[in-house]
Amino acid sequence: MENKNLKSENPKKKSNNTSDITKKRARKDTRTWYKLDLSAIVYPTLQRRDFSSVYRLSVVLKEPVKPDILQQAVDLALVRFPTYKTAIRKGLFWRYLEPNNRPGPFVQKDIRNFCMPMPFKAGSRYLLRVYYYDRRISLEAHHCLGDGTGGMCVLQTITAVYLRLLGHSVSNGYFVLDVNQPPDPEELEDAYMRYANAKVCPPRPGEKTYRVRGTREPFYTFNVIDGIMSVQEVASVAKNYHATITEYLNSVLLYALLKKQQTEWHLKLRPVKIAMPVNLRRFFPSKTLRNFITMVFPSIDPRLGEYSFEEIVKQVHNYMRYYINEKFLRGDITTNANTQRNPFIRVVPLFIKDFVVRQFYTRVQDKNSSAGLTNMGALKVPEDMKQYIDRFDIYMGQPFSSRTNCAIISFEDTLTVNFASSIMETDVERYFFRKLVEDGIHVTIESNRESLQESLSH
Amino acid sequence: MSYCVNCGVKLEPSLTECPLCNTPVINPKELYSKKKISPYSREKGQVDVVKRRDLAILTSIVLIATSLSCLLLNLFVFSGSLWSLFIIGACLLLFVLIFPAVIYTKLPIYISLLFDGIAVGFYLYMITFNTSSKEWFTGLALPIVALATILVEIFALLLRSFPVSFITTALYFFAEAALLCVGVELLIDHYLGLPLHLVWSAVVLTVCAVIVILLITVLSRRRLRDAVRRRLHF
Repeated sequence: MENKNLKSENPKKKSNNTSDITKKRARKDTRTWYKLDLSAIVYPTLQRRDFSSVYRLSVVLKEPVKPDILQQAVDLALVRFPTYKTAIRKGLFWRYLEPNNRPGPFVQKDIRNFCMPMPFKAGSRYLLRVYYYDRRISLEAHHCLGDGTGGMCVLQTITAVYLRLLGHSVSNGYFVLDVNQPPDPEELEDAYMRYANAKVCPPRPGEKTYRVRGTREPFYTFNVIDGIMSVQEVASVAKNYHATITEYLNSVLLYALLKKQQTEWHLKLRPVKIAMPVNLRRFFPSKTLRNFITMVFPSIDPRLGEYSFEEIVKQVHNYMRYYINEKFLRGDITTNANTQRNPFIRVVPLFIKDFVVRQFYTRVQDKNSSAGLTNMGALKVPEDMKQYIDRFDIYMGQPFSSRTNCAIISFEDTLTVNFASSIMETDVERYFFRKLVEDGIHVTIESNRESLQESLSH
Repeated sequence: MSYCVNCGVKLEPSLTECPLCNTPVINPKELYSKKKISPYSREKGQVDVVKRRDLAILTSIVLIATSLSCLLLNLFVFSGSLWSLFIIGACLLLFVLIFPAVIYTKLPIYISLLFDGIAVGFYLYMITFNTSSKEWFTGLALPIVALATILVEIFALLLRSFPVSFITTALYFFAEAALLCVGVELLIDHYLGLPLHLVWSAVVLTVCAVIVILLITVLSRRRLRDAVRRRLHF
């Protein structure tokens, strides 16, 4: 008799419990919100009708992607990343992220003009898109959610869950996080604030640099040229110049930009600078999945005289050695953090902050570099996942002004250089890849650019 | 698999020309080969449309609340005259003006402009109804509102059917301003029972005519047009 009673009562209790839990979770969700981290504050301010700071990470698998299973994997994996399952809202003084429980994000068929603007209030308000095409899974995220490292964790975890759903056994490790564990509070922190404690704030560099001019493509076009090469080949060539791969590729980009400036009509020469994000996790231990990068600007000033390629490599090599260390980077993030900590700045209403930041960015920060270059470095995945993956790609997204952005990533022996631009001219890319070919590196080119035949047929 | 003869890079099989230098790829051994699959999707994506539902709800509630509270106050507290009709009418007018911008954006512009004109007319009628004076409404207010609505509709039509630049926009604006002033003066004369003469509107008409002739000259000469655009760009 007692047993029967228990049986009849249990389901009721259970359903009560689950409804309680969902209610509690919903209540907790309304209480949870996340401040934007230090560099995420800037990205939403730059939002225009035709521009969002969106980056894309993709993984090319060995077999075609199954969309329904990918959707399941996205749903399962995103629970682990609460700061990525959010929507952005405006407060009176700052923007903030709040948990987003709307249905989605849904996987979509890939498109040609990716990294499209991401209106904050459109659709289900997710700042995240997942695409599939043939063997490729792509994740697009707004930069205010996190940097490339955080995004890579999301992408690799989704990929691992997807592979597990297909019946393969994939272990956790490196960028693949355990989806069954609750998120670590350290993953959600604004790590800048923890380390911005230098006693002095070095001034920000501000100098007008050479700007790549070009014919703007119509709204909304996104041109991509990928160069695929062997890591070993590039490493051995870089070694001949006594440089690392990053230093060497940075030098090649500087060389390409210098050549472009020389061949163009100009009244006077300007310095050529590259904006390169540095992953601060290498210097300041943090597990954060949000932004934790700072910019360094390797540059060459052609007004001082003509630089040979060897001299460029030497200059970049020395610059990197001098600037990229824990002390200088700490000073740099302190400068940025102090602006945000200033009580007078904090009480200014958001729309005035937006206006000032946008003006500062378009007039100073954007003109401070001729191109962007990021290197995610050699990616590591768990040993049992390697066999399912062909390569990774990373795209810095649409440039704020007419120029090209270059992103580098390597996996096993495949190094991919992805150029993204919204101008028609391909001079920088051409000089870049021709220099690599001249140095004896075999480059395979892929592109989504419209060929002449195609554009004529439209 | 082909190499670009110009750049020396290996090209992915689906490419028909080198993306770096636009040199066509012709491999004599693969002249009639099947088209390969591109590593990128060929479909073009569309940017999501933003729904301004929150703003729509907020404005509607504010307007309805204002109208209702005024109506209740008028009925039960300050019930001397029907003053609340002015406020309710103004709220209605605002709602009609905001409607196409916030709530239903797919409405053709001509129809929403027509609704705006009707709403203004209705508001003026409400004033007549409240103050029990009718002649000025039929004799003056309604024709002027009708004239203004027609002119605004023509302005929209011109902007939509011809190429737009700030010179052409200025041309339409000054031409229509002159017409509006002439129309208003003639209607006033007619209402007051005076002979139809142009007095003050003749000044506006002359100034506008000079500006319009100037703009037409600028528009018809390419060199002038380019010079003006260059110097006045913003």
